Amino acid sequence: MGKPFGGVVLNSAFRVIVPFTIVYGIYVLTHGEFSPGGGFQAGALLAIGVVLARLVQGQDTKFNIKGTHAVMLAGVGAFIYALTGFLPMFFGGNFLEYAYLPVHMHEAAEVHALGILMIEIGVTLTVMMTIIDIMDALVRESDSDE
Amino acid sequence: MQILTLEAILLLFLIAATIAIIMCRDLLAAVVMFSVFSFCAVLAYLMMGAPDVAFTEAVIGTVSTIFMVAALKKVGRWCKK
Repeated sequence: MGKPFGGVVLNSAFRVIVPFTIVYGIYVLTHGEFSPGGGFQAGALLAIGVVLARLVQGQDTKFNIKGTHAVMLAGVGAFIYALTGFLPMFFGGNFLEYAYLPVHMHEAAEVHALGILMIEIGVTLTVMMTIIDIMDALVRESDSDE
Repeated sequence: MQILTLEAILLLFLIAATIAIIMCRDLLAAVVMFSVFSFCAVLAYLMMGAPDVAFTEAVIGTVSTIFMVAALKKVGRWCKK
């Protein structure tokens, strides 16, 4: 099971809070168009789950994303955003004009919702990985000084 | 009227938390007071009818508190005179 938990309180807090945080983050991501929230908040919520795991269990926790991987995935998020932005330009539209996305749906509103969802997935990935990377940098810096 | 009173109390809490942050010699206590400030700000935003801003503030308040505690390990807990 890897490293043991810090104590009874940390153990219970970790096991109760982290699954709820992650499920709530995904809910905020997918309901971003209808309710308060969106890509930024969802990314921060998802990052809190990973950061909490690292705070409670230390560096070698199973539920972890390394700093180098985090930078790479942040780039992937920015790429998803740019892809959604530039794709309509190849089909005759403007930047981020969702109506020209090359998908066929019954209504134009559905295509619009799909475009917004893709944008938000990109933003979520970038924000989450950037927060994890900042946390990684802070911890690494203070470890190497001692 | 009651809403106005509640808002006034919340704003007083905000000012008190800010003064506590400035006066603290213990930096860990200052970080905890910053978390209190953030929570009061969330309630104030909610009361003023901006749930989106309140949500963002709640999430970012948590994340930045964690960051500041991580930075305290490098800076040291006590403020020099």
